[in-house]
Amino acid sequence: MRALLAAVALAVLVPAGSAAQANPAPDPATRAFDLERRGQYAAAAEVYRGILTARPGDLGALLGLERSLAPQNKLGDMQAELRRALTVGQPSAAFYGLAVRVAVAAGVADTARSLVLRWIALEPKSEAPYQEWGAAALGVRDRAQAKAAYQLGRQRLGDSVLAGELAQLATIEGDYEAAVREWLAAIARTPGYRSAAVSMLGQAPVTGRPAVLRHLEAARSAAAERVAATLTIRWGDPVGGLRRLERAAPVIGDGMVEALQDGLDEVRGGSGREAGMARAIGLELLGARIPAQSTRYWLESAQAYADAGDQGSARRMLGKLAADPKASPTMAASATSTLVSVLIAEGKMDEAAKQFAQLKGVLAEEEREGLLIRLAEGWVRAGKLDRADQVMAKDSTVDGLAVRGRIRLYLGDLGEASTLLRAAGPFAGARDASVSRTTALALLQVIDEDSLPPLGSALLKLERHDSVTAGQDLARVGATLPPDRGGAEVLLLAGRVQAGAGNRSEAERLFRLVSDLKVPASAAQATVELARILVATERKPQAIEMLEQLLVSYPMSAVAPQARRIIDQAKGAIPPS
Amino acid sequence: MKRRTFVEVGAGSVAAVLWPRGGMAARRAADYLLVPMDEAQADHLKAYGLTYRLLNRTGKAEWFLNYRGGSFLLPGDGATARDAALSGVTVEPVDESAVFQIRAEIKESNMDAVPLEKPPKVAVYAPPNAAPWDDAVTMVLQYAGIEFDKIWDEEVVSGKLKTYDWLHLHHEDFTGQYSKFFLNYNGAPWLQEMVDRNERMARKLGFRDVPANKRAVAYGIFQFVDNGGFLFAMCTATETLDLALASDGVDIAASFADGTPMDGNASAKMNWDRALAFQGARLEQSPSLALFSDIDGHQVNSPDRRQPLGTFTLFNFSAKIDPVPAMLVQNHRQVIPDFYGLTTSFMKNRLKPGITVLADEPGAPWAKYIRGDRGKGTWCFFGGHDPEDAQHQIGDAPTDLSLHPHSPGYRLILNNVLFPAAKKKELKT
Repeated sequence: MRALLAAVALAVLVPAGSAAQANPAPDPATRAFDLERRGQYAAAAEVYRGILTARPGDLGALLGLERSLAPQNKLGDMQAELRRALTVGQPSAAFYGLAVRVAVAAGVADTARSLVLRWIALEPKSEAPYQEWGAAALGVRDRAQAKAAYQLGRQRLGDSVLAGELAQLATIEGDYEAAVREWLAAIARTPGYRSAAVSMLGQAPVTGRPAVLRHLEAARSAAAERVAATLTIRWGDPVGGLRRLERAAPVIGDGMVEALQDGLDEVRGGSGREAGMARAIGLELLGARIPAQSTRYWLESAQAYADAGDQGSARRMLGKLAADPKASPTMAASATSTLVSVLIAEGKMDEAAKQFAQLKGVLAEEEREGLLIRLAEGWVRAGKLDRADQVMAKDSTVDGLAVRGRIRLYLGDLGEASTLLRAAGPFAGARDASVSRTTALALLQVIDEDSLPPLGSALLKLERHDSVTAGQDLARVGATLPPDRGGAEVLLLAGRVQAGAGNRSEAERLFRLVSDLKVPASAAQATVELARILVATERKPQAIEMLEQLLVSYPMSAVAPQARRIIDQAKGAIPPS
Repeated sequence: MKRRTFVEVGAGSVAAVLWPRGGMAARRAADYLLVPMDEAQADHLKAYGLTYRLLNRTGKAEWFLNYRGGSFLLPGDGATARDAALSGVTVEPVDESAVFQIRAEIKESNMDAVPLEKPPKVAVYAPPNAAPWDDAVTMVLQYAGIEFDKIWDEEVVSGKLKTYDWLHLHHEDFTGQYSKFFLNYNGAPWLQEMVDRNERMARKLGFRDVPANKRAVAYGIFQFVDNGGFLFAMCTATETLDLALASDGVDIAASFADGTPMDGNASAKMNWDRALAFQGARLEQSPSLALFSDIDGHQVNSPDRRQPLGTFTLFNFSAKIDPVPAMLVQNHRQVIPDFYGLTTSFMKNRLKPGITVLADEPGAPWAKYIRGDRGKGTWCFFGGHDPEDAQHQIGDAPTDLSLHPHSPGYRLILNNVLFPAAKKKELKT
């Protein structure tokens, strides 16, 4: 194909017999086009003008002149050529299109209108004259003229013509009632306008959005409901969008499956709990409407509900699946696996362990290992470390080592915990788990004791989200340790836990304590944490002084960049985060 | 390895971090501190602030043009070392013999040592309520820790400019047309506020409209340069300053600004002798296109004429023969990504003869960074809005310079701030 194109191109560039001629001069049109391609618009325009002197009605030359003048912002300068062209024959639609564009660019709206009227006489049923005029007016940001163009078209051709164009104009002008009315009319004529409607209306400012939704609701049509649902999702309420579709099912009728699929597509890009919930709801609704694929949709819905933290709904979906005779064995196993995860998340550990025991024979190895780890973590969160230990006893995977290390840590067996966590390395598990493991190792390496059950107990409380008690316990443990043998580090952790729990005064006390202990790394970090509290409580000068002291005392500290950033923000040298 | 052994190794590492090699020696005052400005520098932008503050304290520093990216030599006093540590600026303690070797290298190469003396007193022309994060120069001065005063129309018209050495203009529209956003952003609260403020100021200063007021301000700025001031302008302030200066007696403002349409023959009536940098430009007639003339090569707000961004290259000047342009292009990068502004670049065919192009895009018909002299003063124009936000839009999040401490584009701005501090010596060209 490429060779053929090349041959055609050559045929155009080298006409037959040209080799025998002695460098024939290119015709003016070719020369003008070449100048145009090289960006020499002024020269090209001159050549086109030369052609038009000889042949005033040459449409190709007129269009070439338009292309050459537009980049020079001189389109309005070709009115004389157009007037001459009008004298030499019957103008075509293409000529009128050009003439309208030039008239608009020259700022002579009356001329544009009279040209459009002459064009209409040539093509009475066409929307093109009005579209051309309106588009040219929008090109020079003259909305009033564009509106006049489209309204003239509607007046002559009927009520719903040019609805897309008027809808865009109304949206730009913030007239949402008209915008909604016109978009719905445009969608009724051409359903493909739906995405344009969503895209344009979606750009409405926050203050205009309630009006858009109100006008869509008032329309009470399937198209309006679908646009409203998609906009609701796009504007940050994915669950509301899906629920809106659910409520509008009687109005939407046969288009409901397509509407739900559109809704799920819209939700797909989102993240977070709300997006997950919306996805789960959409899949559930879809499952109810496509019986042949209901098991697949319900399983995916259950997983999405579980991931979003709505364990009750996840169990409800799994119950539907269990009662479905059509579910295949693989599907049933996946459903049970999801059920185990749901039970773990709900803290129903005995039931989860029972379900897992029945299921483990049919699970793939990777899925089994994953569930085993979740089960052990569930036991940890339940405070039953012996059961967790039991579950992981035979697990020698890297992820398993990491979980076993955490169990030993919570039991206060610091020596074994350190060995296992180091063996697990920095990459096992999810990123959060990896960071938490590295933090734990950093803490363990400065503590002398091999066994310290109160520390393990405090960290277990932290794992179980009992931050306030954990913070208090950590502070007590820290006070019993020599400052340079873990005391300062544990107190620092206690301060961070209190700060995270919103207890600023206790956090400040602990950070000051650690800072005064002068154990280098911990003191520097405590100073930075303390400065953050001081900045947050409008004590910026104190924070700056403290951080400057830190930078002078520990210029090579790992926290120096953070300290400088806090100083810059406190001084207003960089924008707030 | 037993846990105890592991703990000891860990403690050793901590010690190494806290007391790095040479750390104790560095506590002894060095003869000098060299501020490297090549890849070794941790924060190029704050290095200028460090030097500026030192000049404020002692009036003594040197700028080693083309030596390690345009390094600074500062006295090795405790206050400077402390300031460097606080700012995170890399400094290298050097003794007399090391400095001697550096000077020998400078003597043999395209380098020069320029003494810096008095730090310029800096003024930034901006409306009183201007957002602190919408002007590249304000941002970088604040980040580097260089003090400046904000001035506006009243201060310029009343002659207060003469109390400053260095003046910066950013995206002010000196044609008085509110950057020609009036029609497209009509009704936007920020635009309404801008219009009200400018109209109030024009009335207060006794001008019939905002364009007349801005033209008077432009002339005040012109006089500041003519009398020996240093002017640095970016973005649309460059182009509109010259348009305002050249349009005395010509209506170049749209009707929304002064009640009458722009003179259809304005381009032909301009008097370019009054302008600093440009000549022969053709003015944009459309009131709704946020463009002013064909001075700008990129025409960012015209869908038909907009040119894509490329990279611009700094010229390599002779440090010994042309120290002024050499100072203005000191950088650790020679090729820099371009960035848009209401005025992004300057068409070379619109530059007056004798203007020095400091940076351009090879093969393109425009320059990015230019300078020239007028009377006893000097000016420098840099196209574009924000060197680290190539496609800046109204309402975009502000640039956080702590994330761009090595920004070569922002360095060019700071070269301009220190340049007036250079001790004058007779130029050979």
